[in-house]
Amino acid sequence: MNYMRAGGVVKGLAKRAIMLYLTLVISMYITIVVANMGGLVDQYIKSQLILEITYNIKRNPEYRNLPPAEIDKLIKKTFEIEIKRRGLDKPFLVRSFIYLKDALTLDLGRAMYLQSDSGSRQVKIIILERLPQTVMLFTTSMLIHFFVNLFMGLYLARHYGSFLDKLFIALSPTSVIPGWFYGIFLILIFYSWLHVLPPGGIVDVPPPEDPILYSLSVLKHMILPLASWIISGFFLGCYSSRTFFLIFSTEDYVEAARAKGVPPRLIERRYILRPALPPIVTNFALGLIGSWSGAIITERVFNWPGLGMLTYNAINAFDTPVLVGITVIYAYLLMITVFLLDIVYVLIDPRIRLSLGGR
Amino acid sequence: MGVLMEVRGLRLYYSTRKGVVKAVDNVSFQLMEGETLAVVGESGCGKSSMAKAIIRLLPRNVHTYDGSIIFEGRDIMKLDEETFRREVRWRKISMVFQGAMNSLNPVLKVGFQVGEPLMIYDGLSKEEAIARARKMLRMVGIHEAFADRYPFELSGGMKQRAVIAMALITNPRLVILDEPTSALDVITQANIMNMLKRVRDEYGLSYIFITHDIALSSELADKVAVMYAGQIVEVADAEIFYREPSHPYAQKLMASVPTLRTDKKLEFIPGAPPSLLEPPPGCRFHPRCPYAMDICRREEPPVIDLGGGHKVKCWLYAKR
Repeated sequence: MNYMRAGGVVKGLAKRAIMLYLTLVISMYITIVVANMGGLVDQYIKSQLILEITYNIKRNPEYRNLPPAEIDKLIKKTFEIEIKRRGLDKPFLVRSFIYLKDALTLDLGRAMYLQSDSGSRQVKIIILERLPQTVMLFTTSMLIHFFVNLFMGLYLARHYGSFLDKLFIALSPTSVIPGWFYGIFLILIFYSWLHVLPPGGIVDVPPPEDPILYSLSVLKHMILPLASWIISGFFLGCYSSRTFFLIFSTEDYVEAARAKGVPPRLIERRYILRPALPPIVTNFALGLIGSWSGAIITERVFNWPGLGMLTYNAINAFDTPVLVGITVIYAYLLMITVFLLDIVYVLIDPRIRLSLGGR
Repeated sequence: MGVLMEVRGLRLYYSTRKGVVKAVDNVSFQLMEGETLAVVGESGCGKSSMAKAIIRLLPRNVHTYDGSIIFEGRDIMKLDEETFRREVRWRKISMVFQGAMNSLNPVLKVGFQVGEPLMIYDGLSKEEAIARARKMLRMVGIHEAFADRYPFELSGGMKQRAVIAMALITNPRLVILDEPTSALDVITQANIMNMLKRVRDEYGLSYIFITHDIALSSELADKVAVMYAGQIVEVADAEIFYREPSHPYAQKLMASVPTLRTDKKLEFIPGAPPSLLEPPPGCRFHPRCPYAMDICRREEPPVIDLGGGHKVKCWLYAKR
């Protein structure tokens, strides 16, 4: 690294950052248009609004004696004021850009229908309230997966053709079945039949007061969803990482290293893992942020109050601000991760470092 | 000059789904100190397998591996794997692999990789090993600054030289060169051949030079062995061999070499090399041989000594 011309690398990374941000802007705009159904959601909101206003005015004793024509006029006026207040009088095209600006500045606004558990309508609060639960469950599962796959894959590649290796190949199709499906079976076994684990939720009802008991209760609730995901991904994950290592271990330089007398463990570290590091790191980083978006069906099956559940509810309720909010936050996280990955590549792979102009 | 290595009855068979592949079948030859043996033959005739059998780098699917290899007076086939690795491989016999372009780890610096055997075998520190690697790189004609570069920054010829430096770093007695210049242009090829000659003379090395390019082999060879279908069919001193090869296959091979500026019709050998799964009975070359006789189809030819170390495995030379 001592000859690295830092300037070239910085310039290269700056270019990457700009490109990434442009991608983010474009994808955000597409999301906004889609989440608003190209403006169709407006119609939906307007008819909802008219219904609400009509209902409120007709129910209001103050207006009971007004002639119907007056009432109609009143409804129309209130409607127009409300439309203006919400900014719905401007055409969708104009508003889509206002939404875009808000989204990019992380001004996520207010939800239309959903509320946070603390009663807030702020989209930011709603999302931040759900994020920790999702991270706790799915990031844990992802980390366990990643390391188990890595070490098991290396082990299987080392024992290519052994009984265990063949067993993993034979069992890898079990991963076609998604995690939540195993989840249903686990609930049947451990809740309905054995009565040892809770069927869902995140903590006992009522929640224990003592913080230690509380975390133990959360852990107990995590076992089944975690197990269902780990079972589902285990065999295929190990199988594919084993194949990955096998491919890297047939490179000519691995053979040359063997001939030079490099001991097997060192070959594994220096000649197989090192050159394979960029794809491994990529897998890790993308798996990590992928785990932050939660899983809609698994969270529904286990009644787990995470982002997946929130997404599900927001879709059902046409709650565009929440959907856009979730996407914006995720897009930012993805962009930052990809950018950090670029920096990590520069550190671990000389080929990339030099192609960016460093020396 | 003493005998450096004597190979007797070397066999290396692979087991595959289709059956047993006799890649090296009963090969014997002798190599003197400081001598270069060129091994020529078509692709798939077992040249590389023979090299791997000598340096004992075997694939997983080995079926048979036997014979004897007397190296500096002891049978290295009898050594166990660990002793072989510690005392013979790379210390005494090293190798330049076919496809040297890919013989370097892309994420390690060239100097480190060239010096690595010294760290492993002699317990040298990284700095000492790299310092020695620099010297060796200079020896093979690369500027020592390239020790701090990564392989992808080197040209094909430079990579080839670096790989040769890697094979020479432990100061071995014998270097097996498996198609060391096959992917290079002719100018680079010539440079590397000259460098190999210079290094050989300076260190008193022996080479086994494996190539399918007969013309190129004449640059370096003291002795030539022709391989066909896993067997050596002719061994001769280079001078004799290039003037008049004896085995029909060797004759055909020579006739297929293009020459500059002469309007010669290039010959080719009809048919393809036989399958090593079920080699033809009798002489393995008989289906393609213009002189094939009855006995060739029935009985395997003996090795006939034509004198002066010139040996040929062909019925044409048998006294009957």
